[in-house]
Amino acid sequence: MSELSTLARPYAEAVFKIAVESKSTSDWSETLEFLSAVMQDKEMTAIVANPKVSQEQLTTLILDICQEQLNEQGVNFVKLLVQNDRLILAPQISELFEAYKAEHEGYIDVEITSAFALTKDEQKKFATTLKKQLGKDVLITTSIDNALIGGFIAKAGDKVIDGSVKGQLQQLAKKL
Amino acid sequence: MQLNPSEISDLIKKKIENFDVSVEAHTEGTVVSITDGIITVHGLSEAMQGEMLEFPDNTFGMALNLERDSVGVVMLGAYQHITEGDTVKCTGKILEVPVGEALLGRVVDSLGNPIDGKGAIATTETAPVEKIAPGVIARQSVDQPVQLGLKSIDSMIPVGRGQRELIIGDRQTGKTAIAVDAIINQKNTGVKCIYVAIGQKRSSIANLVRKLEEHDALAHTIIVVASASESAALQFIAPYSGCSMGEFFRDKGEDALIIYDDLTKQAWAYRQMSLLLRRPPGREAYPGDVFYIHSRLLERASRINVAEVEKLTKGKVKGKTGSLTALPIIETQGGDVSAFVPTNVISITDGQIFLESDLFNSGIRPAVNAGLSVSRVGGAAQTKIIKKLGGGIRLDLAQYRELAAFAQFASDLDESTRKQIERGQRVTELMKQDQYSPMSVAEMGVSLHAANAGFLDDLDVAKVRDFEAALQSYMKSEEADLMQKINDTGDYSDEIKKGIQSAIETFIKTSSW
Repeated sequence: MSELSTLARPYAEAVFKIAVESKSTSDWSETLEFLSAVMQDKEMTAIVANPKVSQEQLTTLILDICQEQLNEQGVNFVKLLVQNDRLILAPQISELFEAYKAEHEGYIDVEITSAFALTKDEQKKFATTLKKQLGKDVLITTSIDNALIGGFIAKAGDKVIDGSVKGQLQQLAKKL
Repeated sequence: MQLNPSEISDLIKKKIENFDVSVEAHTEGTVVSITDGIITVHGLSEAMQGEMLEFPDNTFGMALNLERDSVGVVMLGAYQHITEGDTVKCTGKILEVPVGEALLGRVVDSLGNPIDGKGAIATTETAPVEKIAPGVIARQSVDQPVQLGLKSIDSMIPVGRGQRELIIGDRQTGKTAIAVDAIINQKNTGVKCIYVAIGQKRSSIANLVRKLEEHDALAHTIIVVASASESAALQFIAPYSGCSMGEFFRDKGEDALIIYDDLTKQAWAYRQMSLLLRRPPGREAYPGDVFYIHSRLLERASRINVAEVEKLTKGKVKGKTGSLTALPIIETQGGDVSAFVPTNVISITDGQIFLESDLFNSGIRPAVNAGLSVSRVGGAAQTKIIKKLGGGIRLDLAQYRELAAFAQFASDLDESTRKQIERGQRVTELMKQDQYSPMSVAEMGVSLHAANAGFLDDLDVAKVRDFEAALQSYMKSEEADLMQKINDTGDYSDEIKKGIQSAIETFIKTSSW
């Protein structure tokens, strides 16, 4: 996993620079997301890994699948990936691209997992407090996990703020 | 200890009541790969070099390789239950071990957990495993002796408090024996001992503990064990843990003696870790910083001055200096001291005690090679009596070595050469000493005086040791006051000199050996 993202970094950086220059970050973001979705398909990964499928065949196949999703630069990008045998990195490139984009636009993705669904009000409160904590605008995505019993876990990149009952019980267990 | 159930539930109740419900913020990562005790973790962007990382089920690892996308972690202890995808938390702490008086008399592992079955260790103090050595201003020169209790070493290769003296030799040459004798001899001197066993068999450690117990020497000793069956990471950090435990005594104005048995195995453990972490191998496949692992460790053995002790104890201890003396042990292969690790450690330490298998096999035990062994700073710390008498012994042996090759032509040699050879043979014989029988300053003084004054010259070489033993027991029973005086003052005044001289003369008249 870590090695893949190391390999994906130069591609993501290059794409991001082009995107910023041509002011089309959101277009590129969609393109990369689509490409990564394609590459995560089981049949697709099998085809990519199959040595019998030639580079030309692969290029045509992917361009056919993507068709309208790709602009001229996008087509070139896919060709480059096929040529360098790095198609498999598409999900990592997309992920890194999003990270660069978030950093560039000055917000951070925060994933909040809670035991019960959050109301709009609560989400707003989270947004303001987390903004203070992290010093950046936050983009909140939420999910529900009953195993937390109560409270929430907020994840922003590597940082985790654990305010769940489960986490507190674990802390207590350690103390005893 | 008997505990009734209500007490336990009370205890738990109290803990729960005092439990502070807080929101915990930390940095997290995920396990990517596990190979031979090395775990690669993705994420953990804020991990520090050497930080403790928490894995599931209360297991810990130490972050060693910080890379852009991943962190290389060595596991401290078992890691079989960890699987790919597990979460890893930063603790924000550098590895720490418990320190304090309560550790004396105990056997602990590299992390300070007791392994002698005597229950928990009653100490709350901890200290980081890796510390920077005291600075130049904090130090004081070495001027007090550590008596190892061995004639050959204390007279010719003296060790001072705060010195680093290497014990080097092949396998089976009595390196550990010297260390153990040194520990036994610190009984009643106030010097605390720490014995760090690295990569040794558990059975030999058990033997050593038993021997120390037999000689009443365990009470002032901490034994830190990273046996051969423990992970490379634990073997690597064991000396640093032991050193932190020793520094506790040094920093409060006491004297401590630490023995690293042996640093060769620690270097091996570090080499294993480094290769698995894919660090580039250098000479003998050791990584580039193998010199630094030993130099930073041995630099922590030092003598600190009164002002520093006062500062460290916040004014509680005044007018006392503290010291940590180190006796690192290095095992050579086939007497090769020019291998990588031996040369490194020789250059770091303040001298070495060189043991040879040839000497050992020819019955000279301790098998100290007096020519190659040196002590660069110990001379300033030697007791006066040993210093005065030891010089003669050193000279006798040096002259003997030069002439020893001619010894077989004894009959054809001139008078003075023959005399020198004979003196040398007797002094060599006198330098032999049994294991577990360290000698006091006075006992040594008497033996050395007997050699210097020529009392041994008329004896048969084979009789020298019997003569010495009988002389010692005579001195003990008949001249106890004189012996006590020498032990107390350490002086070699005319009065003491005359006292010893006349005592030996009287003893010889009894011909009781």
